[in-house]
Amino acid sequence: MIRFILRRLLAGIVLVVVISALAFSMLYANSENIARRILGQNATQDLVDRKTAELGLDQPIWTQYFDWLSHAVRGELGRSWFTGELVANGVTARFAVTLSLVLGATILAALIGVISGIWAATRGGWIDSSLQVLSLIGFAIPGFLVALALVLVFSIELHWFKATGYVPITSSFGGWMSSVTLPVIALSLSTIAVVAQQVRGSVSDALERDFVRTLRSRGLGQGRVVLKHVLRNAGGPALAVLAVQFVGLLGGAVIVETIFAIPGLGQLAVSSTVKADIPMVMGLVIATAILVVIVNVLIDLAQAALNPKVRLA
Amino acid sequence: MFRLKATAAALTVGALALTGCTAQQETSSGSESLVIGQFLAPSTFDVTQAEWGNRALYYQAVYDTLLLGKSDGTIEPYLASAFEYNDDNTVLTLTIRDDVTFSDGEALTADIVKQNLERFKEGGGAYAGDLANVESVEAPDDTTVILNLSAPDPALPAYLSREAGLVASPAMFDAEDADTNPVGSGPYLLDLDASVTGSTYVFTENPDYWNADAVHYETITMNVLVDSTAIVNAIQAGEVNAAVLPDNNNLDQVEGAGFTIDASELNFQGLLLLDRGGEMNPALGDVRVRQAINFALDREGLLEAIQLGNGTVTTQVFQKASKAYLPELDEYYTYDPEKAKSLLAEAGYADGLDIEMASTAVLGAAQFPLIAQQLKDVGITVNFVDTPAENYIADITAPKYPAVPMQLEENPDWQLIQFMISPTAPFNPFKYGDATTEELIAAIQAGDQETQVEKAAELNRYIVEQAWFAPFYRVSAGYAYDSSVDVTLMKTNIVPSLFDFVPAK
Repeated sequence: MIRFILRRLLAGIVLVVVISALAFSMLYANSENIARRILGQNATQDLVDRKTAELGLDQPIWTQYFDWLSHAVRGELGRSWFTGELVANGVTARFAVTLSLVLGATILAALIGVISGIWAATRGGWIDSSLQVLSLIGFAIPGFLVALALVLVFSIELHWFKATGYVPITSSFGGWMSSVTLPVIALSLSTIAVVAQQVRGSVSDALERDFVRTLRSRGLGQGRVVLKHVLRNAGGPALAVLAVQFVGLLGGAVIVETIFAIPGLGQLAVSSTVKADIPMVMGLVIATAILVVIVNVLIDLAQAALNPKVRLA
Repeated sequence: MFRLKATAAALTVGALALTGCTAQQETSSGSESLVIGQFLAPSTFDVTQAEWGNRALYYQAVYDTLLLGKSDGTIEPYLASAFEYNDDNTVLTLTIRDDVTFSDGEALTADIVKQNLERFKEGGGAYAGDLANVESVEAPDDTTVILNLSAPDPALPAYLSREAGLVASPAMFDAEDADTNPVGSGPYLLDLDASVTGSTYVFTENPDYWNADAVHYETITMNVLVDSTAIVNAIQAGEVNAAVLPDNNNLDQVEGAGFTIDASELNFQGLLLLDRGGEMNPALGDVRVRQAINFALDREGLLEAIQLGNGTVTTQVFQKASKAYLPELDEYYTYDPEKAKSLLAEAGYADGLDIEMASTAVLGAAQFPLIAQQLKDVGITVNFVDTPAENYIADITAPKYPAVPMQLEENPDWQLIQFMISPTAPFNPFKYGDATTEELIAAIQAGDQETQVEKAAELNRYIVEQAWFAPFYRVSAGYAYDSSVDVTLMKTNIVPSLFDFVPAK
């Protein structure tokens, strides 16, 4: 088990480094006018040249990359070229915000998806058909449309939730809930659809397996059969789906964060990329890559816990 | 199964109940607090890197400027209780107030002002060039600052009411957290605990402020809403008392929410006919060709199509608030394709001509086919070269094109001249100038107030007659505010001055 974790983490580190190199080279392709863009229209050419030298933009790309890498491994991710903010601070502050959105959406999706998937698979009939239709709709509707509709109804008309802004959970739990509820719902909708479909399918399959008949013939009630036995079998694919969706949610958070004016990674990613604020973008790339690696390791462990047949080799 | 559903239902109800308790922080309509919707987050609180524009309010809240820009465009004393030029406008003497303290207790002295000015000039910030003509700064005593200029600079007082005039406490000079922790003498103090970086900035009144009458609120909260949809949602949900409107797409919704929209026209959109000397494209060197382009444009049509009618048609680039603005120059060129064709024929281009221009989606993709069509109708074929937004300005200033469509700010006179007209202006990349413009610019630089206005008006008329530009219209930008606050817009900035937000009677 320990060896498994270590090997996966090592592979993860290699992956993160490769991703950072790829990202750096793609960003560099656009870096010619960075100094001008930082300083704006009013700056003289002298100032622009001075800024270029100051940022090391006149050096070969590999020199710049290894310079960045040698600092990054020590945790020094540099400062934003545009705001002077420490990249590490900026990313970690926003990390927590986006994580709360994405985790919230994942948990909500897991709960509702699993519950409705089981319900549909066990009851069948019109419940099952309507779930399929709802899933399709939930999957097809773009996230921002849902977000806009939610804001219109629940913020502007009913004043139940905040339309914009973010309140940290450390400030006020109620305030935090009122600022993240709508974004989380908007984010989670398509994931709920996918998870529900997946669970419905796996549970449906599992219910037809021999071991279920055996359990029932031994007198176990439907509830226990499903919860204790079928779920463990159906759980594997559902977890895999959740892992993939989690990564997708990180991207989906961009639009939701923009509409709700939430200071998360998504907003930062968009604004930094458009400006080509290379230190900040690199910090974001690293943070996201690390997060994805960790989530995948955790999911693998969960899979192993669910199903002893999964070998941790 | 039953239990699961019940638990889920109970959780949802519980969560909703909790949020119901503390959901909306309804914006108070009392005079104690004001909530402003901002389009950009502050970039840094380090004054040497300051940038006014959409970020002005953050700086105005915690810092004072040497001079104060009023909404009618005049410049008044502020931290400097008096300012005076010598006879040939090469020495500016400021008298500094003696009753100002920073939030860390440090008293303001002329030496601190001197250090701030020097640090701004050497700090490498985007606006460091504003002090380019300041050769040296002296502080002979605690209340006198002398700026020695290498050449007269009519825009200097204006600059001292903005970025270059911000005064920070010496405690910030070498501070590690200068970007995030401001120490100034301003009307409000940044409450770091209540603020959320990138999202909400809470300012509380400074009880020791030297100009207590100017402080109208106990708390000012600035919410960062980088998206125009988010701004409109915040307005409709009543989460802000005032906000800038980045575009004109939702004016009805904003008014429907009970907000008043005041519009200012600070920018113009049009063609910059840069190659007036005919270096890259000989045709553009002929004034008749440039005038023909002006006659070929259906400005009303363009305004309607691109800005839905929000703006004013114009053929001059000087701002309306300027004394050099001449109302008749808004219509110097009418929409007259026949006149355009005959001018082109006179210049020897009866068979038409080709011009290459850059284009970029950020300016609004709708306008390029329209421009191309209108010019084609008089025989000018425009070849647009699509350019990524981040390279657009660099390509203009290179220069890579003899003419380009662009949206530019209509600065106050001297700044506008330095920005677009003088041979060293970034937006005069071919460095073009003739005897008339050189003479007028020199007269403005050296002259007194009256001369400056007179000569600037002459210069305005001259470059319109010489068709240096083909402006379409001034773009209307809106600022929305609700009934709890009275707001007066600035003539020189997209957001009002902080002191012009006053509780409504």
